[in-house]
Amino acid sequence: MAHVVLTDLVKTYGTFKAVNNVSLRVEDGEFVALVGPSGCGKTTTLNLVAGLVPLTSGDITIGDRIVNDIDPKDRDIAMVFQNYALYPQKSVYKNLAFPLQMRKLPRDEIDLKVKEAARVLDMTHLLERKPRELSGGQQQRVALGRALVRDPAVFLMDEPLSNLDAKLRVQMRSEIKRFHQDLKATIIYVTHDQLEAVTMADKMAVMNGGFLQQYDSPATVFANPVNMFVASFIGSPAMSLVPLEVSTNNGDTALSGTEGWSMALSPLNARKVQNSTSKKVVLGARHSTIKLHKHVIAGGIPAKVYTVEPTGDVTFVQALLSGATVNISVPPTVSVAPDETVWLEFDQQRIHLFDGETEMALSAA
Amino acid sequence: MMNSPSNPTPKARRPIDRWRWTGRLFLVLMLLYTAVPMIWMLLTSIKSGFAALQFPPQWWPDEPTLASYQKLLDPTNSVGRDFLRFFWNSLFVSTVTTILAVIVAVPAAYAFSRFDFPGRKFLFFAVLLRNMFPAVIFLVPLFILMRLLGLVNTHGSLILTYLTFGLPLAIWLLKGFYDNIPIQLEQAARIDGATRFQAFILVVMPLSVPGIIATAIYSFIGAWNEYIFAYTFINRNDQLTLPVGIQRFFSENTTDFPGLMAASFMMSLPVVVLFLLLQRYFVKALTEGAVKH
Ligand SMILES: Nc1ncnc2c1ncn2[C@@H]1O[C@H](COP(=O)(O)OP(=O)(O)OP(=O)(O)O)[C@@H](O)[C@H]1O
Ligand SMILES: [Mg+2]
Repeated sequence: MAHVVLTDLVKTYGTFKAVNNVSLRVEDGEFVALVGPSGCGKTTTLNLVAGLVPLTSGDITIGDRIVNDIDPKDRDIAMVFQNYALYPQKSVYKNLAFPLQMRKLPRDEIDLKVKEAARVLDMTHLLERKPRELSGGQQQRVALGRALVRDPAVFLMDEPLSNLDAKLRVQMRSEIKRFHQDLKATIIYVTHDQLEAVTMADKMAVMNGGFLQQYDSPATVFANPVNMFVASFIGSPAMSLVPLEVSTNNGDTALSGTEGWSMALSPLNARKVQNSTSKKVVLGARHSTIKLHKHVIAGGIPAKVYTVEPTGDVTFVQALLSGATVNISVPPTVSVAPDETVWLEFDQQRIHLFDGETEMALSAA
Repeated sequence: MMNSPSNPTPKARRPIDRWRWTGRLFLVLMLLYTAVPMIWMLLTSIKSGFAALQFPPQWWPDEPTLASYQKLLDPTNSVGRDFLRFFWNSLFVSTVTTILAVIVAVPAAYAFSRFDFPGRKFLFFAVLLRNMFPAVIFLVPLFILMRLLGLVNTHGSLILTYLTFGLPLAIWLLKGFYDNIPIQLEQAARIDGATRFQAFILVVMPLSVPGIIATAIYSFIGAWNEYIFAYTFINRNDQLTLPVGIQRFFSENTTDFPGLMAASFMMSLPVVVLFLLLQRYFVKALTEGAVKH
């Protein structure tokens, strides 16, 4: 196993920058999830680490070696592809044996390793089948097995679960997590499913438009998103973002909405707001931190209900506030109807404040 | 709804059947159109010279005979000697053309499919441009070129010519095939320890076998049947290929129809055999390479 360091990684296609100055360090044995919306450069980043596409500039270090100009086969990596990329004309056995054959291992040793991998992944009975004779989940195991038979310095996985149905995905998720714990493997795992990232990874790297936005533990990324993109991308339903104006209320700094109401701020939040580059500030709040009242209360902000979505455990209410939509979760026992006026109470300890111009999180310092 | 009396099932099915029967009828007519001349060829080839000229024509000969075939395949008489020589010439020219076409088309098609090099689009267009003109307009220019190269009356002139006609389509057909092989397979192989070349040989090549076979059949048939260029470039009797050879050979004296038909039948034999053996791949190539995306 080894650590991986990316330094100022850039990949351009013509004039288009698919990967833009990405720098990050994956420690030995760490599980890092690369997340971001479609087309943000996740696969490209992974392919750069693998050496499948030439990099434009920057450095890639695996272990203690700069691998910029080293062939994929000599980088000591294994990769699981988004579409599995099993060799269609080869049996499962031969698919698993291929990486070992290419490394010129003796035949009996190959046999031993293939059978061991098949046993671990519970597919001994499938060894003679061709990939097309397998279900999606079984193909996925073979793809994982082909990476497992060797023991490489780094595992790269590109959305390995995206083609599976929900149930199988949950099952495979825990298997991969287990595999990481058992082998203490270094894994870079691409996904656009943030739930996968949050449940499996030690750290997550959030990308957007080729830029690395934030690189930290899932808990930190969730609790302290560095900007509005990360805030809205991580968490489901998404964090509500309400554009507001800085105002003064009896000499105290406050925020006011287009409807004319104003919201008092705690001293800490007031100091954050004073650091904004303009009068525009965006208020962020997760659905579970907002209280919904059916009757007017002190400090409550009036909003109009837009939609109500009961899911069984909780009911999600969307309300309109200052031109934005706010997600609130309420117990299923609370009954609200569209167009009803409700009063929202924000938790000063748990709201997020962003600079309306730069979209960066505001800090008190 | 299920057993609504106004819409009984048999009535609903009738239009579908009518279409199906029209389709079948059409196919039968097509089959007759293509098969009757061939059957006639075969039947004539086993008639005596006299029976072949009878009027009204006889469908099934009174005394079927294989004499024409014996004559053609017997190297001790001059007819058989010439026929076997033409046959060998055709086989040689077509086989060499096919092998060269595959050797050139495979890497060219792969490069067009996989690599992004400057001028790629233009070059691919240039390759296909050849096929937008009728072949005959190249007859005189190519003849002049062959004379300059000193290739007139050699099989080399034919092989080169057939390659210029066969390659564009071969490259296009194979490119479609490579386009459909996911690039991740090669990438997986390279990560699993293969060089670029090994990934191509071990993973891509086996998957493109149907495409290569289709390309080969196409090149072979094209070369085997070609007449105009062979007629123009080759004058020496010992260098003639079958299409021209048969024609010259039999119009020298009064035409021996059973002999002509027997020779024609034997000429079509390799193509038919090749096609029957490999049609599985050919169909696969046409449906997978060109249509599916
Ligand atoms: N060979 C290429 N030529 C030109 N542009 C490319 C090429 N490969 C990728 N791109 C572009 O680079 C950007 C990043 O692509 P990439 O495949 O890394 O996205 P991704 O984050 O993996 O997305 P997804 O979640 O959809 O898989 C995209 O805008 C894509 O169009
Ligand atoms: Mg991708």
